[in-house]
Amino acid sequence: MSGDDPGPLIRLFGLTGGRARPRGEAFDLMAIVTTAGDAAEPQGLMPEHRSVLALCRRPTPVADVAAHLRLPVNITRVILDDLRRDGLVTIDRPRPVAQTIDERIYREVLHGLRSL
Amino acid sequence: MGYAVSETGTAPAVPALAIKILIAGGFGVGKTTMVSTISEIRPLHTEELLSDRGVGVDDTSGVESKVTTTVALDFGRITIRDGLWLYLFGTPGQDRFWFMWDELALGALGAVVLADTRRLQDCFPAVDYFEQRQIPFVVGVNCFDGARRYEPSKVRRALGLPGHIPIVMCDVRQRESVKEVLTTLVTYAVKGP
Repeated sequence: MSGDDPGPLIRLFGLTGGRARPRGEAFDLMAIVTTAGDAAEPQGLMPEHRSVLALCRRPTPVADVAAHLRLPVNITRVILDDLRRDGLVTIDRPRPVAQTIDERIYREVLHGLRSL
Repeated sequence: MGYAVSETGTAPAVPALAIKILIAGGFGVGKTTMVSTISEIRPLHTEELLSDRGVGVDDTSGVESKVTTTVALDFGRITIRDGLWLYLFGTPGQDRFWFMWDELALGALGAVVLADTRRLQDCFPAVDYFEQRQIPFVVGVNCFDGARRYEPSKVRRALGLPGHIPIVMCDVRQRESVKEVLTTLVTYAVKGP
């Protein structure tokens, strides 16, 4: 690697063991991450991993997790993939939008927007 | 180790749903302003780290050495209720980030293409993009102070838009105006023309 200061990237890749993308499928920015059950948190987790587990006790989309961690999306995806492999979070793949937005959700969204 | 639903209620009865809406248009047309006007939070910021081929390319895993740049992703959020959100993503303006659009557009409910009548041509690429991929979109004509007002029919003709695509005159600094654009889009995307 040449060019710009590699410092920040080295730190980022330290978080991911050098990986720039997850091993499994790349999940969507809107995929919902939820901390699994109430299993005891393993010892020795990195701060970023602990931060995800705390945040996602309430289901949280991937984009929000990345913003919360202040990390690039791809790096966040690697972290989430690792946590999923360890059974610490579940990640729900979003269903096709046309199938998810039924009449009830449509009305909720319209009502919600109008009452902003 | 217990896997039952915890007492803190982490498993909602209804699956959480995050609906993605894109805000597109030329540089300086008001995308960021629109997101800021309506978002309940200061627009969140993250970055996409790019390899030389960009996102969505299957390359070999392992230590990667071709990371070259980052692209900013800014987005806002509207909470409809616990577990139901709208996310508004401004699309990157620079041409070299077109591939980012593919990731953002995937699974999106639809898009708002913001247009400025003083430089209407700036929104052509966004209109083409969503038309080609059959992603529902509405055109929001951002009425800047001092810009000449045009009839929607003139804007429609200038953009070569079919009659079913909604055109909304708006002021992206005004909350009510942005709400109207978004309700128009949601209705068009869900109900069709």
